[in-house]
Amino acid sequence: MTEHTTTESRDESTGGGTAVPTDSVDAALSAVETEGLSGYNYAYLDEHTKREVRRSMLKAVAIPGHQVPYASRPMPLARGWGTGGIQASLSLLGPEDTLKVIDQGADESVNAANIRRLAANTAEVSTTADTTEADLIQSRHRIPEEVLTDDQRLVLQVPITDALRKVDPSDAANRRRHAHENYGKMWVHLYENVVEYGEINIASRYPTMVAGRYLMDPSPIPRWDVPKLDDADHLTILAAGREARIYAVPPHTAVEPLAFEDRAFTVERFAEQECHACGSTDTYLVEVSEEPGSAAGGAGGEGNGGADDDADGFETRYACNDSSFCAKRRGDPDLLKDHHLDRSGVDWGPATPDADGNGGGEA
Amino acid sequence: MRALGIDPVHETRRTFDGLLSAMSRPGTVQAVPAPADHAVVATFVDHEVTIATDDDSLRDALSGQGRLEAAAAENADIVHVRDHSRVDVRACKRGSLVEPSEGATVVYRVASVAAGSGEGTTVTLSGPGVDGTATLSVSLPESALAALAQAQSDYPRGVDAIFAAENRVAAVPRSVTMEVA
Repeated sequence: MTEHTTTESRDESTGGGTAVPTDSVDAALSAVETEGLSGYNYAYLDEHTKREVRRSMLKAVAIPGHQVPYASRPMPLARGWGTGGIQASLSLLGPEDTLKVIDQGADESVNAANIRRLAANTAEVSTTADTTEADLIQSRHRIPEEVLTDDQRLVLQVPITDALRKVDPSDAANRRRHAHENYGKMWVHLYENVVEYGEINIASRYPTMVAGRYLMDPSPIPRWDVPKLDDADHLTILAAGREARIYAVPPHTAVEPLAFEDRAFTVERFAEQECHACGSTDTYLVEVSEEPGSAAGGAGGEGNGGADDDADGFETRYACNDSSFCAKRRGDPDLLKDHHLDRSGVDWGPATPDADGNGGGEA
Repeated sequence: MRALGIDPVHETRRTFDGLLSAMSRPGTVQAVPAPADHAVVATFVDHEVTIATDDDSLRDALSGQGRLEAAAAENADIVHVRDHSRVDVRACKRGSLVEPSEGATVVYRVASVAAGSGEGTTVTLSGPGVDGTATLSVSLPESALAALAQAQSDYPRGVDAIFAAENRVAAVPRSVTMEVA
């Protein structure tokens, strides 16, 4: 009883708060919709935090591939859900910018939609799902299929910052290795991979040399996306909230996946497969398991030779991972990945005209 | 930082936008609010880092907000240089091999900075961020830029330079190779 009274008096004394009707969740939500944001700084973060993040970003760009520590702040979602990327994006965004947020290739996942909404509400930016319209793209685990230009910046969310973590869990030892460019242990790991599997068998977070000096974890992008970072036109910022590190790949910087002379770096292969919705064969495909006929875009369950029917009626087939480009391709199946540029034949990773030797395994 | 006539939210954001472009594309010149050196300092200096400056208006403005943590040029994280002959950039902090990002950021206030060849000394840049080579001309004598090149010569340790003139900035991060013509 005493406790109850205490709670009540605390509620009443909360300065500046607005009474929220609690008869239903809907009523409570509609009551806070108009308030809520008052008292927050522009772009949610306070200026002290932005200075911290901005200093680290500049140092990260000045030392490509080096992991620069910063004071990662608590964000309104759990660490590991893109807090590093959000802090980097909100330190960059201005009211004239257009933001795109991708989660595993999709713009409409809950995580991506919420990050986009946070930025739209607090930084008054416009948002888009169209890669070519965005000034800033925050992404988890993918680089878009459409070529990024020198007017665009890419922020990648990073769960594990150090490529060496998988060969040695000690951060202190790994930082010494980076200091002395001593990557022998990673080469041994790759060699063991070749011995065991006949090729380097790393699905994502492929160890990559940046500007010939630092070994970098390119975040969990598929191998397919790694060549897009090499000599790119855009700036890439990689930000980790949980591990409180920021690193970067400036434009026109050499990014080289580690490989042996006789065991070349290879990207994912999708032999004889195409996207069931748009028919693309030159994009990164993922397996989806769906009930026949339920596919988005009304592609129907027909005309899809390679599909496996599961016993429970679900069907496994391939689809583009980049949903916004897939939607464009459904309208125009011949659309090129560099359709928005005034030059053609741009090298944008696998299956683009100039992807010298990185496509498939023919090199 | 209103004390310097710079809006603490939107002008520092625009300054950072210019700085990030300048740092990631050495050789390019980006527009920022004027005066550029004050805008740069207002954008990333607070009590978390030390600054060396002989600019009293800057010191007063920072100190008025509890953001001034002064240090000598040899120990400072940010070195604000108005007169290149008074600061030996070779003595500035270069960070350690384990944490090279502790190297200083040197902000030169200069009369002019321009892409391509022009007033002052012209330097040729190559390396990360530069497509091939780029040239930049800065109104500093050759000796000052040669000293900077020396301070950047033991990569990844080194200093990063920002040239601020009126309402423009350009940057020479330590990752690029700078040849003083």
